[in-house]
Amino acid sequence: MAGNTTKYAIIGIIIIIIIAIGAYYATQKPAQTTTTPTTTSSPSPTTTSSPSPTTTTAPPKTVELTGDFNKDIIAVGKALEANGISEVKFTVWAAGDPNSVMRIYGIYEAAHRINKIWADNGINVKITVNKYWISDFNQLYQEYLSKQPLGQAGDFFVDSYVFIGSLAKEGYILDITPWVNKYWDSVFSDFYKPLWQGMKVGDKYYGIPQDTEARPLYIRKDVAKCIGWDLSNVADLVKEGKFTWKDVYEKAKEAVSKGCSEWGLIHRKGSAHPDLIQFIYAFGGKLYDPEKDKLVLDVPAVYKWLYVEWKFAQDGLLPKDIMSWDWAKQIHPTIVEGKTLFDIGGTWYWTEWQTKDYYTDPNTGEKRGLKPEEVKEWFYYTLFPAGEEGLKPVTLSQPFAWMINSRAGEQNPKYDELKDLYHKLAFLIVVKASDPDINAIHSVISAHVPVRKKATELLYDKDWINKLVNLQLDLAPEVKDNIKDIVATTVNEINVEFLANVSYMLDYTHMAPNHPKYPALADIFAETVDQVLRGQMTPEEAVQHIISRIQADPELSQAVEIVGEIPGGWQFP
Amino acid sequence: MKKNIFSTNKVQLLIFLLPAFLIVLLFYIIPIIITVYVSFTPMRNWNIDKYFNVIVGLQNYNRLFSLITRDPVARQVVMNTVVFVAITLAINVLGGLGLALANFFIDERVSTGFRTLWLLPRMTPIAVYGLLWYYFFHGSSIGMLNSIAMSLGLIKKPIAWGQEVIPWGPWSIIIIVNGFVGVSFGMVIFYSALKSIPRELIIAARVDGASNWKLTTNILIPLLRWHLLFVTTWQLLSLLTTYAHTFLLVEWGVVSRTYGQTWALYVFNTAFGRGEQDQGLAAAAAVILVIFGAILGWITVRALGFNKMITKPKGDI
Repeated sequence: MAGNTTKYAIIGIIIIIIIAIGAYYATQKPAQTTTTPTTTSSPSPTTTSSPSPTTTTAPPKTVELTGDFNKDIIAVGKALEANGISEVKFTVWAAGDPNSVMRIYGIYEAAHRINKIWADNGINVKITVNKYWISDFNQLYQEYLSKQPLGQAGDFFVDSYVFIGSLAKEGYILDITPWVNKYWDSVFSDFYKPLWQGMKVGDKYYGIPQDTEARPLYIRKDVAKCIGWDLSNVADLVKEGKFTWKDVYEKAKEAVSKGCSEWGLIHRKGSAHPDLIQFIYAFGGKLYDPEKDKLVLDVPAVYKWLYVEWKFAQDGLLPKDIMSWDWAKQIHPTIVEGKTLFDIGGTWYWTEWQTKDYYTDPNTGEKRGLKPEEVKEWFYYTLFPAGEEGLKPVTLSQPFAWMINSRAGEQNPKYDELKDLYHKLAFLIVVKASDPDINAIHSVISAHVPVRKKATELLYDKDWINKLVNLQLDLAPEVKDNIKDIVATTVNEINVEFLANVSYMLDYTHMAPNHPKYPALADIFAETVDQVLRGQMTPEEAVQHIISRIQADPELSQAVEIVGEIPGGWQFP
Repeated sequence: MKKNIFSTNKVQLLIFLLPAFLIVLLFYIIPIIITVYVSFTPMRNWNIDKYFNVIVGLQNYNRLFSLITRDPVARQVVMNTVVFVAITLAINVLGGLGLALANFFIDERVSTGFRTLWLLPRMTPIAVYGLLWYYFFHGSSIGMLNSIAMSLGLIKKPIAWGQEVIPWGPWSIIIIVNGFVGVSFGMVIFYSALKSIPRELIIAARVDGASNWKLTTNILIPLLRWHLLFVTTWQLLSLLTTYAHTFLLVEWGVVSRTYGQTWALYVFNTAFGRGEQDQGLAAAAAVILVIFGAILGWITVRALGFNKMITKPKGDI
C-alpha cells in the first residue's frame, strides 16, 4: 500500500514537472512572436526584400546626436512621430532636503520646454512626467536597486554621485559618454570641471552634475558672544590652518562649561558618509588610491577622527547618542535654538532653517522657520577646520547627478524598436534640465552651489533674481505652483549673498570615492563611530574593529588597502 | 465494463492531495531550492540577469565562515541569536504553560478576558506593537520606562536602555518584545489541551486529595507532553527565523544594531538593508540557518521523546 502511494506520488511529481516545463515554454513563445515583427514584417525596404514598386521610407529608429540641441530634439521628435508615438511618458525619482524640489521639477521644466519646441515645429508628440520623491537619498538608492531589474524604477534617477560606481557596474544606468562628448563644447564645458570626476567610472560618463555643495562649520554668533569670542577673523584663521579642531574643542568646552550652550558640537545622524568623512581629509588622510583603484583605510587619519569624536562625546560636548537623533525633532531644533556652539552642516541648511518649522518662538511658543535676517544674525560659517596645525581646512562635496536608467522609456510603446530613441530623448531632457536658469533656481532656493558658470552668473543678476522673486520667469505652470512657497521664503539678498560667500569653499573640496565597495566601507564607519560616541569602544579599539571587519570579508579586504598605523603619543586637544 | 479511473482510491487520493502538494511545492520547496542555488552565485544588487547563471561554488560559504570567525559584528550576531532564542524559547514555552494553567484553574468567565488580553500583542499589527515598545524603551525622557524610573527617583537622567546598557539592555528588549508575542501561542495550545483532558481524571485526583500542584505535576503536565513537544519545536523554529519586530526597533534606534541583530535579521540586512545588497551571501547565511533549524528541531523532537509518543500502545485497547 505504502509502496503504491509512493509510486503515485512520484507520478504526480513528474506530471507537475511536465506541466511546469510546458507552462515555461508557453510563456516564452509570445515573447518571441512580439519581437519577430520588428525584423520581418516591417515595411522598411532595408529589412525586407519586397519587390513592391511603391517603396516607402521606413521611419527612423534612431537619430545621431550632433551637439546642436534644437536640431537634435527636433530630429528625435520627428522620428518619434514618424513611428506613431504621440506621447512619451517618463518618471523621475529624486531625493533630498525639502527645498531641493528642482531635482524633480527640473525634469518637468525641461519636458515643458521641449514640448514647446516640438509644438512650434509642428511635431505632434508630448512628453509627460511623473515623479517619486523621498527625503533619504540612501533609501532611494536601495529602492532603485530593488526595482530597476523589475523595470519599476524611475527613468531619471537623481541621487548622490557616490552610487554611480555600483550602478554602472550592475548596468543599471546608461553609459552616456558619446553623447556627453557631443555636447561638451556647446553645454558641458561650462560646468565646473572637478565635478565631472565624480560622474565617471574609468573613462566613461554615467551621470551629469545636478548640483553640489559645501559643508561649512556653522558657529552660533550669540553663543560665541556669550563666551566673549570675537569671530571677525575666524574664517581667515581657518583658511590659513591656524584654527584647528583643537581650537574647536577648546571653544566648545568653554561654551558648555560657562553655561552658554547645552552642547559644544552637533552633527549629522545615521551615517558617517558624507559629513564625518571630512575628518579623514582634515587629518591629511585619503580614502581612495586612483592608481590601484582601491579604497584606502588611512589608519592614522581614521584614528584621529574617531579620537576627536570620542573626546567630544566623553566630555559631554557632543551627544553620545547623536547617531540616532531625529533630524526634525532634535538635530535642527538644537541648532536653530542656539543650544550648541558648533554644527557640522551643509550649505542647504541655510534655507532649510527658513522653510521648515524647526524653531520654537520663545514669544509665541509656536514652531516656525527662521527669518533670513535671523539666520544671518545668528550663524557664522567657516570651512571645516584642519585637524591639526600644519594641515589644511577642507570641505566635502557630494554632487548630485542626473542619472539615466538603462531601461529609460520602457513604459512607452514600441520600446524594443525605439529604445535608442527613448534613451537619447532622456539624455536631451537632462541636457535641457541643465539650463543655466533651472540650475540657478535650484541653487538659490535650496542653497546648493551651481554646477555651471552661467548659472552662477545669474545669481549675480539682480534683474533675474527680481523676476524669480515675482515668478515672472517663463516656467511651466506646474513648476511655478510647486516652487512658489519656497521661492517666497528663500529668494532674497541674504541667501544670494550666502551662496556667493560660500562658493570659495569649493576650492578646498574633496569627494568621497564612487567605488562600488565604498557603500560597504561607509556602513562599517557608521556603525563604528556610533559605538565610539557611546563610549562602547576606545578609538584604538574602534580602529582595530574596522580593520578586523575589513579583513574578515575576503571581498572587502581585496578592495581596501590598509595603510599606516595608530600614531603613538598623539594627543588631543 | 470499462473502469472509471477516477473511481480508484489511489487516483482519488492523488487528486485530493494535489492542491496541497502544489502549495507546498510553490511556496516551500521551490523557494528553498532557489535559496540554495542563489547561495552558490555571486548574486547582488538584485541583478538576476548578470549573476543568476554565474556559479562561484562555495565562495559565499567561505566568506560567511571568514566573517563568523573574524568579524566581531558577525560573531556578536551569533551570540545574540543564541541568547535570544534560548531565553525567549524558555519564556514562550514555560510562560505559555503557566498562563494556560492559571487560566485552567480560574473561573471560565474571568479567564476568557484574561486570555484575550494576552492575545493582544499577537493581534496588534507589527508596526503598531513595535511603536508601543519604541515609546516604552525610548532612550530619552519621552520613554515611558525612563519617565517612570525618574519620577520614582530610581534614575536621575534618562538611560538609553537598548543602546547603552550592553549587552543585556538590547537583549532584554528584543526578548521581552518577542516574548510577549510568543507566549500567547503556547497559552492557546496548552489551554485547549488542558480543556480536552477527561474530567474523570481530574475528579479522581481531587477525590484522592491532590492539591493544585500535585494535579499539575502528576496529571496535567504528563498529559501535555505532546503539546509541549509541538510548542517547543514550533517556537524554536519561529524564533530562529523571526526578525520583523527586532528590525523595527533596530531601525528606529531603540536597540543597538550590534547587540540587537539576530541571524535572521542579519540575513535580511545583508540581502536588502545595506549600501551593498549581497543576496548571494545572504542566501548562504539563510541556508545555514535552515540547516541549524533542522538540526535543532530534530534534537528537540528526539529529546522530548517523539518516537516514544507515536509508538503503538502495548496490550489491547
